Amino acid sequence: MRRARFLALTLAAAAGLAQAADVPAPPEVPYENPPYNGKFTFARVKFRPSEWGPGRYEWGLDLKWNHDYPRADEHLLKILRETTSIDPNDEPAIVAFDEPALFDYPIVYVSEPGYWTLNEKETANLRAYLQKGGFVIFDDFFGRAALNLEERMREVLPEARFIEIPMEHVVWDTFFKIAEPPRGRGGAGGRGSFGRGFGGFGGFGGRGAPTTYQGIFEDNDPTKRLMVIANYNGDIGEFWEWSDTGFAPIDLSNEAYKVGVNYMIYGLTH
Amino acid sequence: MPALESAFEFLFKYPRSVFEAGDLGIWGSGSGSLLLPAVVVLTAGALSAWSYARLGARRVLRGRDVALLGGLRALALALLAVSLLDPTLRVLTVAPQQTFVGVLIDDSASLTIRDDDGRARAAFAQERLLDPAGDVRRALEQKFKVRFFRFSDVARRIQGETLAFSGARTNLAAALRTVREELADVPTSGLVLVTDGADNVAGPLSETLLDLRTRQLPVFPVGLGRERFDRDIEIARVEVPAAVLQGSSVVASLSIKAAGAGRGPLNLTVEDSSRVLSAQEVPVTAADSSTVRISIRADEPGPRLLRFKVAPIAGEQVAENNQFDVALDVIGGREKILYFEGAARFEAKFLRRAVQDDRNLQVVTLERTAENKFLRLAVDGAEELAAGFPRTREELFSYRGLVLGGVEASFFSVDQIRMLSDFVSQRGGGLLMLGSDKTFGEGGYAGTAVAEALPVALDAKDAIDSAPADATRAKDERFQWLKVSVTPLGASQPVTQLAANESDNEARFKALPPLSSVNRVTRIKPGASALLAGNSVGDSPAEDRVVLAFHRYGRGRAFAFPVQDSWRWQMHADVSVDDASHETFWRQMLRQLVNGVSGPVSATLSAGLVEAGSTVAIRADVADETFIRVNDASVTATIQTPSGLVREAALHWTVDKDGEYVGEFRAEERGVHEVKITARRAGAVLGEDVAHVRVDDLQVEFRDAEMRGDLLRRIAAETGGRFYTPDTVSRLAEDLTYSPKTASVVDEKELWDMPALFLGILFALSMEWIYRKFRGLA
Repeated sequence: MRRARFLALTLAAAAGLAQAADVPAPPEVPYENPPYNGKFTFARVKFRPSEWGPGRYEWGLDLKWNHDYPRADEHLLKILRETTSIDPNDEPAIVAFDEPALFDYPIVYVSEPGYWTLNEKETANLRAYLQKGGFVIFDDFFGRAALNLEERMREVLPEARFIEIPMEHVVWDTFFKIAEPPRGRGGAGGRGSFGRGFGGFGGFGGRGAPTTYQGIFEDNDPTKRLMVIANYNGDIGEFWEWSDTGFAPIDLSNEAYKVGVNYMIYGLTH
Repeated sequence: MPALESAFEFLFKYPRSVFEAGDLGIWGSGSGSLLLPAVVVLTAGALSAWSYARLGARRVLRGRDVALLGGLRALALALLAVSLLDPTLRVLTVAPQQTFVGVLIDDSASLTIRDDDGRARAAFAQERLLDPAGDVRRALEQKFKVRFFRFSDVARRIQGETLAFSGARTNLAAALRTVREELADVPTSGLVLVTDGADNVAGPLSETLLDLRTRQLPVFPVGLGRERFDRDIEIARVEVPAAVLQGSSVVASLSIKAAGAGRGPLNLTVEDSSRVLSAQEVPVTAADSSTVRISIRADEPGPRLLRFKVAPIAGEQVAENNQFDVALDVIGGREKILYFEGAARFEAKFLRRAVQDDRNLQVVTLERTAENKFLRLAVDGAEELAAGFPRTREELFSYRGLVLGGVEASFFSVDQIRMLSDFVSQRGGGLLMLGSDKTFGEGGYAGTAVAEALPVALDAKDAIDSAPADATRAKDERFQWLKVSVTPLGASQPVTQLAANESDNEARFKALPPLSSVNRVTRIKPGASALLAGNSVGDSPAEDRVVLAFHRYGRGRAFAFPVQDSWRWQMHADVSVDDASHETFWRQMLRQLVNGVSGPVSATLSAGLVEAGSTVAIRADVADETFIRVNDASVTATIQTPSGLVREAALHWTVDKDGEYVGEFRAEERGVHEVKITARRAGAVLGEDVAHVRVDDLQVEFRDAEMRGDLLRRIAAETGGRFYTPDTVSRLAEDLTYSPKTASVVDEKELWDMPALFLGILFALSMEWIYRKFRGLA
């Protein structure tokens, strides 16, 4: 089993690298971050994706990291302002792992880590960021995309392992008491998010694996601080994005917000 | 001065002391036989003056010549007349062997210092006083009955034994008093005090001297040793706090004297039971006394003995004073601090992280995550803070420190605001307010009891309107980047020590990234101290602000830290992963917050390190759980000696101060004595506390080891005696004979043949002759 996993991993990594090498750099996109003022800012990480192209996302591009941007980010900020004592900047920020500004945002959000690539500077910076106390949330990835995330994280922290976050963990009780986080059974139903389970809000009862919540703990010790949370087979950002449209079930949107709020409070206290 | 004394004796025939003791008179032995010649001389003088005056009148001589020549002639004749009048000095002197002299010889360890051209100070006493053939002894014994005493902390009669010069302390007042009492029944001409003056017991010297003066008992000190060393390093004093929480930085302030060591750095080591805690070079800038501050970590719990040592320099006069011991009680417990954070923000996360592995600090966190919703972290049980922020004094006062961040004044009830202030002033706790748009003036604290407790001045105009749009705008306008630097006072405070010495510490702070502030806190209150200052960087408004300040408020202390993101000292891109500045700062900040904060019952001892046989005073402050002082408690001290003996001492209320009880005990055994205070009321225990005192050899004899001439001169002057050194001591026996109380024999000393008179006459006549020659007169 382990050998098969290793083989699959190696193949996936090799494929990823080959793709990255072939794929030209995406164009620079325009955005403006709010100036630092000491307030909480929702920061989304941009990276050079292993594949990209035109798409129905912001700037008309499918850059992977920009999935659900900026509506998911803005909506979560509204919810944080309304429900919690966090006094956030209303504008979200975008930052890359190799920028010094990364360290201005002790919580960052990464979408679609299945397409995530890292250069040397990004690797070193992310390592320092996590060791100093930074907190990273990975969202919106399914199936084998996890292999890329795990491989990249091994480059950053070779000893670190993803461990399923137990239900007794404080992250499920920092703001909302979450007895059971959403675990819709996602399916690899096409490239769009519709048609998946919790990962997308169309396809409960899909064929994919259920959403699990895995984390990297300091020293791989689940009693210690969570440095990284990854929503395996999940896409809570999708629910944040569409929550004001009526396309998504309200209950599921609520659950997605609860998880998001708890993550933020955890990142602000631990 | 000996040359001057010799010249005086040559000119006037007798030493000055004889003139001071006696009365001048004329007519010699009452015969009056020389009165006639004196009259003849005076008549001759008058005649010569008249003849000069006539020459002047006839213009043979100019007026100036008349005055000068007449004057010189008159002077010569007047001096001759004085001589012929047979002046005498009438002094009272003692009859030989009729009176006593007490000789007190210093037997303390400082007499072994070899600063008399390589010979020990004690050599003088041994060779010239204790040896029966010694010259000073023989001179004394010719005229007096001499009683020898030795003294260090107490004085005893010498009865044939040899002196060891090993006394650990010198108590001049006690020695003088004892010998005075011993000789009270016999006629005593004076006391000879042979010592280096190293009086290191705070005895009642002034009273003793006054007593001796009223009894007309002069003291004649003989000062041994040099008043200034050529080459010597001495750690004169080391100051550390009496007790600190384990893991704290301790700033030790050393006073170092370096005579003849140049201005170079000295190698200083600090040891705790032979374990080196710190070894570094310290700069010495002045020979007299330089103050050096170093920072060490108190990691081992329990009563510690810290030894500060400076390596001897070549040709060092006294090596024993190169070290200094101090006692430090390192408290190994876990102190509880309540951190109330009114808003979810990163400052809370990083503050908690900085001390999460700290065994000695429990930062119980209550974070308001939404209105009326709280997240409790690091609490001791389900009950703790279950109802939110404490509403009773008992609940709040169970914490030793309180940190307030991100919470506005209006959150608290009037009672709670009063309780916060009482937490500092009455409970004696430590309060720290953190910067945010909901604290200080911005949070509406101006004019409240909390503002009174804070060390910084708040302005009611700074309050931010709670409307979100207003709040945002106001906050942005107040936003200011600050480059943090250590103030001169901060350099000496443990809370601001990031490195072992001052220059490294300054550099560490300089290297840290700037922090930001939204609180317009620019002034500290009178009496408050600024430890960290913030210089504005970046865009307008350029306003320097306070970064860390504190003051005492009632029984406790309050700190202000009006910056909002000290977490940048941890996270910033320029700060390396290994940099522990942020953790160190918060560990120290929170330790300082609870440093010296006690429970309802606290014990204080008069010293942490004493000599064997010292009396140690115990003080206990007793209060109930709401920190109301209790005057009707039964308070006992249980003292456990190093060998395990246990005894009890009752403490009694002082009456002067509410809740203050005192007692004392005598510490005899070498080693650490544990003093446990228990206070009870109506059978119930109000509280307990433990303090320690260590009995050890303090080597005080080698502190300030130069001969203290000023003190010895003062003793002589105040009692009517004289001060000598081994070079001038030969007059001692003679001077003693004029002691006013015991002298009974009148001794008339003739002065007509004083060389001064004849030299005066000779001078006047030769000047007259030279002047005549010069002017070509007959």
